[in-house]
Amino acid sequence: MWKQPYFVIGFSILAFFLIGSFVYEWIWGDVPRQTLYLMENGRAVEGTPISPNWQNPLGTDQYGYDLLGKLMLGAKYTILAALAVAALRMLIAVPLGYILGTYLDKHRKWISSLADSMHYIPLTLFAAYVLRPVLWMPPEGFTSTIWERIGMQVIIMALLTVPIVAILVANEAALLRDKEYILAAKTLGAGRLRIIRKHLYPQMREKIAVLYGQQVMETFIVFAHLGLLSLFLGGTKVSYDPLFADPPMSISYEWAGLFGSTFRYLQGAPWLPLAPVLFIGLAIFAVSMMMEGYLRSKNPKVKRNKKATAEDSVVEWNREQLREQMVRIKQNKQ
Amino acid sequence: MRFLLKFLIGIAGIVLAGSLPVLIAGWLNAEWRWKDYFDSIRITLEELWPLGEIAFFNYRAQQSMPLFPNIFEYIIYSLQILFLALLAAVVVSLVLTVITMLLSERARERVKVSLYFLESVPDLLIIMLAQLAVVLFFKQTGILISKIAVVGDDRIYMLPVLCLAILPTIQLYRLSMLTFQEEERQMYVDLARALGFSKVYIILVHMFRNAIISVFFQSKKTMWFMLSNLFVLELMFNLPGMMLFLSDNMHPLGFLVAVCSFFLPMFFLYSFGEWYFVRRMRGKEAV
Repeated sequence: MWKQPYFVIGFSILAFFLIGSFVYEWIWGDVPRQTLYLMENGRAVEGTPISPNWQNPLGTDQYGYDLLGKLMLGAKYTILAALAVAALRMLIAVPLGYILGTYLDKHRKWISSLADSMHYIPLTLFAAYVLRPVLWMPPEGFTSTIWERIGMQVIIMALLTVPIVAILVANEAALLRDKEYILAAKTLGAGRLRIIRKHLYPQMREKIAVLYGQQVMETFIVFAHLGLLSLFLGGTKVSYDPLFADPPMSISYEWAGLFGSTFRYLQGAPWLPLAPVLFIGLAIFAVSMMMEGYLRSKNPKVKRNKKATAEDSVVEWNREQLREQMVRIKQNKQ
Repeated sequence: MRFLLKFLIGIAGIVLAGSLPVLIAGWLNAEWRWKDYFDSIRITLEELWPLGEIAFFNYRAQQSMPLFPNIFEYIIYSLQILFLALLAAVVVSLVLTVITMLLSERARERVKVSLYFLESVPDLLIIMLAQLAVVLFFKQTGILISKIAVVGDDRIYMLPVLCLAILPTIQLYRLSMLTFQEEERQMYVDLARALGFSKVYIILVHMFRNAIISVFFQSKKTMWFMLSNLFVLELMFNLPGMMLFLSDNMHPLGFLVAVCSFFLPMFFLYSFGEWYFVRRMRGKEAV
């Protein structure tokens, strides 16, 4: 796994963001650098938001805070939350899927058509709809702490697509269960639990790993979409002042919030919404790299051998043909 | 009969999901509000009855609007964009697949890997880049390719459909590449080749028919993904569509109506498709 370039590149991108995020906070504190205007020859040439330059590689926001700093500070929230959502989802859905695929096989059809109706509800919409009571600040302020809200959000987002993932696992398990070696194990007296543990799980480990990667990617996308609806990770600070209401704000510097609170500036200051989305894209890209690398590390030999044998047989066949032709030519000459 | 049952189960799932926020608000205060939950479901179902009398508040017009015909127009517009994009994605991806299948093995692998990584581009990035590109093009040349946002009740089609279609095209392209390659290993392809049919003929006539079935079943997942994208798209372009309407009406009834407006056409489309393909496959077995 660690020898696969794809996996290593993907892993190092994610690790860079995570470690960088903690190191940044440790060195420079949890408030990014603020620049209110740029001076050139004693005159102010540019006010906030400052466009990207050497001092602020990604520019600054409308209050002069360095965008790169904000992104680095927020990286840990977004990435860890996405990983946690996907992990929790798999932890619930995989055992559920196994139970559905083995113990409750008679009810599988019926349950899967119920879960199928989830396929018609747009995920983002569902998430936004369900999370609004948790994340949107009521007029009297939040009654819960930020960590409680993040926890709730992670749990709810994990639960949202548990049915779909569980059905996927169940169908896969049901397919494998009809294989002969499982039948043999059953004949020898293996119980269902043993079959799950010793036969189904090892067979499906790779599929489950890939499924996990897909869930992480999906979660990143849903976070970004929620950001667009101003539902931010850890809650949205809403100003209920009737006259001078501030726009909804994110409490942490997580990426969805950075994007969601600035996408109206797309034409005026394109770096403000583009940079967070680009970072989300990079994180998704890193995960997909890791998945590809993992898959390649798990079955490289099979592929290479197949190709090699295929080529070899063709080469041999050609040689055979050549030999026959030569023999024929020789015979003709004689 | 089984079709009807499936339909009812689907509707029941949506109704149950529609009142979930009540339960979750209860969790925040560490209690189970089952009674409120079922009350909310009951109220939603009661409100549903005289279908013509359902009305929603529209923030854009600053007044209440009846479902028919006003809101219904929104629904039609959203569905138009969705299905146009789906159609475009399917056609483009199939054409590209057929072309790529004619290439050599190595080139195909390369295409597949790059498609795999292209899939990780977030939809938001595509929409924003498209909007920026149109504006930049306008500034440079003075030609407005397409409007980038809607004011009032205007309708725009080209740019939203294009933005919505890009990612599904990439997904379907990769998936259909995989199915076509799987299909290529089948015996009948070898037989057809041995009989001297050209590669193009085999792909277009023989493999296409078989591969299209699994592409159809895969497209359901793509459709799900597109629904989320449509939501974002309508927000970014300020389109007068169903999703934008829903974001103003986040209550169980609004949720039910909005989701049903997608559920009904998609459910019929996929049920019909499944029925058709299954019948065709059965016919083949009998022969």
